[in-house]
Amino acid sequence: MLSEEYLVQQAVNGNQAAFTQLYNQNFDRIHRYIYIKVRDRAEAEDLTQDVFIRALESISSYKWRDLPFAAWLFKIAHNRVIDHVRKQSKEKRAPLEEAYAKSVEDPIQMTERDYEVYQLKAALEQLPDAQRDVATLRFIGQLSIAEVARTLGKSEGTVKALQFNATASLRKALHGKLDG
Amino acid sequence: MDRKLDDIFNECYERIRSGESLESCLRSYPQHRAELEPLLKTTFDIGRRVSYIQPRPEFKHWARVRLESAQRYPRQQTPAETPGASTWWRHSWAVAVTVVLVLVLTTGSAMAASSQALPDQPLYPVKLATEQVRLALAVSDTQKAQVQTELVQTRAAEVEAMANAGKMEEATKAAERYNDQFEKAIAAIINAEGTEPQPVVYVPPTETTPPAVTAPPEVTTPPEVTTPPEVTTTPAVTTPPAVATPPTTATTDNVTAAKTKHWKGSLEQSTISSLTALKDAKEKASEVAKPDWQKAIDTVSKKSQKKSPTATDTTSQSDNDTAPSPASPSPTKQSPSKWHR
Repeated sequence: MLSEEYLVQQAVNGNQAAFTQLYNQNFDRIHRYIYIKVRDRAEAEDLTQDVFIRALESISSYKWRDLPFAAWLFKIAHNRVIDHVRKQSKEKRAPLEEAYAKSVEDPIQMTERDYEVYQLKAALEQLPDAQRDVATLRFIGQLSIAEVARTLGKSEGTVKALQFNATASLRKALHGKLDG
Repeated sequence: MDRKLDDIFNECYERIRSGESLESCLRSYPQHRAELEPLLKTTFDIGRRVSYIQPRPEFKHWARVRLESAQRYPRQQTPAETPGASTWWRHSWAVAVTVVLVLVLTTGSAMAASSQALPDQPLYPVKLATEQVRLALAVSDTQKAQVQTELVQTRAAEVEAMANAGKMEEATKAAERYNDQFEKAIAAIINAEGTEPQPVVYVPPTETTPPAVTAPPEVTTPPEVTTPPEVTTTPAVTTPPAVATPPTTATTDNVTAAKTKHWKGSLEQSTISSLTALKDAKEKASEVAKPDWQKAIDTVSKKSQKKSPTATDTTSQSDNDTAPSPASPSPTKQSPSKWHR
């Protein structure tokens, strides 16, 4: 299998097939990362496509030594989500509970899995911003500590501390709801 | 000095991700077992929940189509289409061409007749020519996308008409024309999206200098221009619903986004209706003719199934795996998405 760095270099040089392969490798996790951070599926799908189109448009200026490719991609996703949320805030974004209630016509028909994902979203939403950013990049985006640090512009030590605290908070939120 | 617990937790998380068992990791740090175990189990729980989040197959399909189109037809970073001299000249040129063509074509009501022409009729080339006039009249990227999307509907109606008439050869040619038009429409839609004003990209504070994500240049919204006169209509037999222009009372961003979604939904609907007609025709055809009908089906499918040389997936081109097929959950009946709202 071709190394990611080789593929990225090929993509930077204009090899479309190499970019497509990178796209295939990262599509699902970028989608998951965005999905967990926005209101609903439609928003996640819009933003996911947008991230890859922007990556395609910017790949020629990408330099591996500055930022690992996955971190670069997640940075685009991170910035797009922030822009999106800001825009929504200006339009008086509804709380997750309210948005969720509106999007589910019949809660009884909601599958258990959907509900578990919703619980996770709600638990993440309760975290302080810095913890939430680390938790989503680490546990949902599956980035390494070093990649998370580079994506967020923080030290690895800080990221580890935020990860630890975020996990403790998530445990309380998720298990509290499950136990209750 | 003792290691910090957050560091140990991270090490265990990494080891478990690499395949080691929870118990094995906890044995390494018996003094921290009570604190580590519930936290590591929480990461398992998060991982399980995250695994439930899967992109819808239709979304993956259309996202891939869009990416491949963007690779083939990169966005043109053109200056904003403000009503300046160059636009005026282009517009004037388009009007002049239109006037001449309309004068020529309206003689003997050729144009009116041609608008109903099907691919197997003598006036069909005239119909194609009038479509070029419509395209010439479309000045802004938004108008071009609108017209190109309408032409996809027209091509789809022709595929349907030929398939319903059982004209296999004409249906195959119509499918090829549909294929070409679909790609043009996708490219036009992507260009139209590129004219949407882009928000400022947020960059979190950092000591290093990561490569800036190049934001497309700020462009102003193209001026709202009245829709060009209707020069052609789709065949009467299978007239598809017109691509209605979404309301313009919302903000410019919202209007552009709404139009884009509407166009994409229209493209999907056109693909579905074409494939439905072709599949019906294949069902009715003799066993000998079925492979030929399948070719036409594949042609319509191929517009979104072209493979890059090193793509890892091996999706076949048969109608069974055509993503937005009537047999599969209809995209138009799905919950809202980029392509289906």
